[in-house]
Amino acid sequence: MATFLATYDFLLVSMVLAAVLALTLYLPLMAGQLSVASPGFYALGGYVAAILSTKVFHPAPGLYPVSLVLIEMAVAAVVSGILGIAVGLPALRLRGIFLALATIAFVQILGVVALNLDVTGGAIGIFGIPQPFGSQLQYMWLAIPLLLLSMLFVARLERTRTGRALIALREDELAAAAMGVDPTYHKVLAFTASAVLAGAVGAISAHFINTWNSRQGTFDTSVNLMAFVLVGGSRTFVGPVVGGLVLTALPEALRGVADVGGLPPWFAQFLRDGRLIIFGVLIALGTVFFPHGLITPGLLGRLGLGRRTGRV
Amino acid sequence: MNGRLFLQQVLNGLAIGSVYAIFALGYTLIFSVLRIINFTHGAIFTLGAYATYALTGSQFGINGLLAGATLPVRLPFVLALLGGSLVAAVSGVIVERLAFRPLRTRGADPLLTLVSSLGVAVALVNVTQYLFGAEPYSFPDPLSELPSAVNFGTAGQPVLVRTVQVVIFGVSIVMLVLLTYLMNATRTGKALRAVAEDTTTSSLLGIDTDRLILLTFVISGFLGGVTGTLIGLSVGIAGPYFGIAFGLKGLAVIVLGGLGDIPGAVVGGLVIGLAEAFVPAQYIAYREAVPFALLFLVLLVRPQGLLGRAQVQKV
Repeated sequence: MATFLATYDFLLVSMVLAAVLALTLYLPLMAGQLSVASPGFYALGGYVAAILSTKVFHPAPGLYPVSLVLIEMAVAAVVSGILGIAVGLPALRLRGIFLALATIAFVQILGVVALNLDVTGGAIGIFGIPQPFGSQLQYMWLAIPLLLLSMLFVARLERTRTGRALIALREDELAAAAMGVDPTYHKVLAFTASAVLAGAVGAISAHFINTWNSRQGTFDTSVNLMAFVLVGGSRTFVGPVVGGLVLTALPEALRGVADVGGLPPWFAQFLRDGRLIIFGVLIALGTVFFPHGLITPGLLGRLGLGRRTGRV
Repeated sequence: MNGRLFLQQVLNGLAIGSVYAIFALGYTLIFSVLRIINFTHGAIFTLGAYATYALTGSQFGINGLLAGATLPVRLPFVLALLGGSLVAAVSGVIVERLAFRPLRTRGADPLLTLVSSLGVAVALVNVTQYLFGAEPYSFPDPLSELPSAVNFGTAGQPVLVRTVQVVIFGVSIVMLVLLTYLMNATRTGKALRAVAEDTTTSSLLGIDTDRLILLTFVISGFLGGVTGTLIGLSVGIAGPYFGIAFGLKGLAVIVLGGLGDIPGAVVGGLVIGLAEAFVPAQYIAYREAVPFALLFLVLLVRPQGLLGRAQVQKV
């Protein structure tokens, strides 16, 4: 167990962070809005943490205080939230594919800006971000509580008036509006909550990865997040979490399979070098054979985990 | 800005814009028929460029599975371009079978098809990387016999455009004319437009919609392959991922022109090409953001695109 944890420390923390990021895509999707903007806020949060920890705070040598990381997370969340409102108010008038395209454009623009500003370190980015922990695995002290809190938040949200309003918007915006649900208010709310959470994850990731540049939080991340949510299941918050955990582990798992002996050498080689090919094919197959994702509210109900509220 | 410089930038903008236009036509054709954005288009673009490269008999790089190998053929560039684009067209067919048809027959949510096409795009890009490696490639220059630039001005007031840009513009215009002819003057084109207008009705009228959708993917893949090769010829192949960035730019083009609108895609391509050419030199680093800034603004102001008709929201 100890060897396992030591070998896969980076992967395990990445899995947990990916699960939280998957929830940031799920939040607007609760209201039926496919927004892939969260990688942009993730990148922004990372820059906030990177700049604060290397240029503003000057802690004593040794381990970087965790309290300062928490402060950075809070600042990153607030900054992302403000930008989220500013972008969300105009953008969320768009629907469906148009919103997805506008948010792709948003992520691209942020990437170009980050590449060219001095404060973000240009193409090199910001490196040598101080470490609050002695080992990578200890990042779990930040990642696990964040995942649990955000899961709790989303689970509770689904039971509140606001959450039900979001789901009503997803099912039928016109009917929901007729029943007195303000579409714009609720959509921007979900979008902003997603931005806040993505910013906080970015702040942890910047320390965790140790360096932050414009290759973090790009369109690639958007693709992965969409895969997490749609393969995991987009009708319950458990889906994105499972999708984030499983799909992040998948490439490494394939490498692990390749290392188990007894496979033809060419096949083992393919599992190692072609694992992203398999990843892509599995996403395509997943959408065909599990159109509602792996985890559905019905499945949770059968396992006795879902609450009996029926479909909204 | 004096007249000469202005003309220079217009010509540069038109050359790159014409490539954007034919690339975007590949997207927009599929969108007009299926109402879905085919995210594999960028990957097919890349594949086409590599296929053309291979068909010219050039050596594969040093990292991929095919490292050091060469194809036993050595085609002249024009034939290699055709061959490479045909490979791209065939991969378009594979994509349709793998990512689109299974979901279409199940009547799946368009968002699912989008994710499925993204999955296939990831697979295609990584197949390319697996075979060819991640290093950049540059084409053997087929234009080395020609002078490196064409002068559109006078001897005293030169307006120089790289020959490769002129060739690219020429090829793009030929593709545009062929496509316009196909869409507007042939029976197949008429059927394609009917399917784009209403798939169900055209199928009731005896049009084989599945066959025409497949044809759309063939044309789209072919256009993707041509563009990949042209861009590869102009700036080199930067690696398996270079089509993804280009593909995102193509999204800006089709939104600008109105999704699914064929003349719109051409106008959108030229507008973005010109807009990029006119970015002042001191802001050149921000040029890559221009298409996306335009995309964002157009979506907010005119979601139906520059030429598109406003759509009345269904109640």
